[in-house]
Amino acid sequence: MTDVVDQFFAELADRGREPLLERVTGSLRFELSDGGKTDRWFVEVEKGDVSVSRKSLAADCTLRAERKLFAGMVRGEVNAMAAVLRGALSVEGDLEHLLLFQRIFPGPPGARGPRRGRGRQKGRR
Amino acid sequence: MNDGLVKILDGNTFVVSDERGDIEASLTDPTGLFSFDTRFLSRWVLTLNGQRLNPLSVDDLQYFETRFFLVPGTGTVYIDAKLSVIRRRAVGNGFHEELTILNHDEKPVNLTIRVEAGSDFADLFEVKDALEKKGRYSTRVDDGKLLLGYVRDTFERATVVSASEPARVTRNGLSFRVEIEPHGEWTTDLDVAAVLPGLPGARGRPKYGRGSRRARPNMSESLEQWVEEAPRVECDWDSLRTTYRRSLVDLAALRFSPPVARGQSLPAAGLPWFMTMFGRDSIFTSLQALPFTPALAATTLRALGEWQGSRIDDFRDEDPGRILHEMRYGEMAAFEERPHSPYYGCADATPLYVVLLDEYERWTGDTKLVRELEFEARAALAWIDDYADLLGNGYIWYQRRNEETGLENQCWKDSWDSISYRDGRLPGFPRATCELQGYAYDAKVRGARLARIAWKDPELADRLESEAAALKRRFNRDFWVEDGGYFALALDTEGNQVDCLASNNGHLLWSGIVDKSKAASVASHLLGRRLFSGWGVRTLAEGEGRYNPIGYHVGTVWPFDNSFIAWGLRRYGFKDEAAQIAAGILDAAEFFDGRLPEAFGGYERILTKYPVQYPTACSPQAWSTGAPLLLLRTMLGLEPQGDHLVVDPALPQTLGHLEVLDIPGRWGRMDAFGRGRVQVESRRAHARRR
Repeated sequence: MTDVVDQFFAELADRGREPLLERVTGSLRFELSDGGKTDRWFVEVEKGDVSVSRKSLAADCTLRAERKLFAGMVRGEVNAMAAVLRGALSVEGDLEHLLLFQRIFPGPPGARGPRRGRGRQKGRR
Repeated sequence: MNDGLVKILDGNTFVVSDERGDIEASLTDPTGLFSFDTRFLSRWVLTLNGQRLNPLSVDDLQYFETRFFLVPGTGTVYIDAKLSVIRRRAVGNGFHEELTILNHDEKPVNLTIRVEAGSDFADLFEVKDALEKKGRYSTRVDDGKLLLGYVRDTFERATVVSASEPARVTRNGLSFRVEIEPHGEWTTDLDVAAVLPGLPGARGRPKYGRGSRRARPNMSESLEQWVEEAPRVECDWDSLRTTYRRSLVDLAALRFSPPVARGQSLPAAGLPWFMTMFGRDSIFTSLQALPFTPALAATTLRALGEWQGSRIDDFRDEDPGRILHEMRYGEMAAFEERPHSPYYGCADATPLYVVLLDEYERWTGDTKLVRELEFEARAALAWIDDYADLLGNGYIWYQRRNEETGLENQCWKDSWDSISYRDGRLPGFPRATCELQGYAYDAKVRGARLARIAWKDPELADRLESEAAALKRRFNRDFWVEDGGYFALALDTEGNQVDCLASNNGHLLWSGIVDKSKAASVASHLLGRRLFSGWGVRTLAEGEGRYNPIGYHVGTVWPFDNSFIAWGLRRYGFKDEAAQIAAGILDAAEFFDGRLPEAFGGYERILTKYPVQYPTACSPQAWSTGAPLLLLRTMLGLEPQGDHLVVDPALPQTLGHLEVLDIPGRWGRMDAFGRGRVQVESRRAHARRR
């Protein structure tokens, strides 16, 4: 059974190229735990070209979190940087990689965004 | 320092204690050991045989290191001056303290030396607002160390206290029973480590150990190297040399290396409470310091670029492309009780980001960085049109979406009453303050240049230039106050002018948005009776409804503001006027031993004879520290042109001779000279004016 986390990595792999990650060259390892089980993903980025595997390799930046929390990030419900400050998402290695990577997470669902044009609001942008 | 508190710091770790070196903090009292916006020690009290100590002197060795000389006894009567105590403290990932006790007597002495330690782990925001803690405390003794802990869910902070000499360690502190020989001494090292699990860059032990005589601040460069590499200033006026030196040293102390900057540093906003990234403050200070320390600008651009907004988040007032306002690392940011992880609610940092990128390239020729940050700069330019134009009429407007903990005024004058009509009424939201439009104009003009030279995108350049021209036309029509001959402070949502006369007009000159035909009128207001106090330009003109010479943004004089106003005056050819402002602010600096405060009173210079400091907890403050640097630039008329540095001095006569040597830039290193020729209102001349 696939969940949002599986979907997230599958879609990332399918995309192949992610403009938001153009600044990134390096690797990130995700270790997401769910009960006693830990799933691993290995994401390599070369100036925006992304490849995803399940290899167990050392990365520039290793991220550890509960799978449930990461699912929240993928859905935009959990802010990655606040999670780092709380210790809910632990970072080993280069924080810069996470900082650039988290750009691809969506914003909170239902965010209003800037109100534009009184009486002629264009809605969410 | 004048408040009786001793402050030392290393990046965002700092210690505030009394003159004995002791810390006895209450929830609202801002003393303690702080790191990453959390207090790690709220109690640190030294006693000898149950007695507190008395300070003889404090020796501020460096901004990260200090030495306290103490004797037993209380008050001014020394009960026993046969002992002296030295505490030498260096801050870094906590602090290291060398405690030495000297026995001056001919007899041995038996002592119980006790250091009480405790922590409330208060968030910096809690210290400001006196809020209750939600987590659990723990205290335990383990392996001769005292471990103070705080846990709330996954959030953990701990303080580890240890000593090099054998100690009896209890949950309240450490004690030592010692006998010191006649004329002998006893010493121990005390280590206080701030532990932040899971946060990269936060190590679990103090940086310094015994014998670290050459302490290294959290930067790659030492203070000596830093000063050495900056241009030299030679002049006839002692005070200016002192001010320049003070600015360089303070700027060194204000350097902050955020976790992502790979050891490079950028200017934080103020010491000690604002040792963090602020978009606006870091950008303005980097601009001021460009001719002297261009590396600060590069780090500011990289770090702010990496933290650039990428999504719509109402709580953080975040939009794609928006440059952050403020970053905090404490518990309240972590649990989203405050939006600073980071918070994006400011309307000027984003256009100013592009302005800094261009100005940086003009000085350094570093087109590589301009290419590297192409994505971020384009996103910042797009933000101006796509997210900031809330009314769809071609201006930057601001209105917070986080109504609870967001900022109401998202411009540099961010206090509640800073934007008003002449009669004192406050406009509703959103608001479009005038300087934001100037920054947007400048960002577009400069963005066009970058698009041509670095991004090879002439189409974007053409579009930005035509947008800039249209904005300038619109602005000069909509904001110009006909009956006043100046630009309105803001527009309200009805399109009416918020018609106060304010210092923002100077920023408009700086941005270049002002029609040439209107510049002389603007300049004469800036130097006129209502705005110019004799020291500098007031934030708000005398005679306006809310004018108050000691009102934070409604009448005080801000050195930072004035440095940009002087730059603006030069841009439109008003050299003498710029020199007048430089002279006033640099005169004021003399009264503060070269360290300009954030703001001082807007009283007439003739009335007070000296500048009345606005009470503030933040000293030094980055953009005040940068003000003398920018004033040096404007007085000498330093301007990069291609690969050359143009020097066109217009110095106040009172200044005499001025040399700035080894100015770094795309030309390598160059010297600039000038001699004071501009008649300015000196103290005597000013007295005659009235």
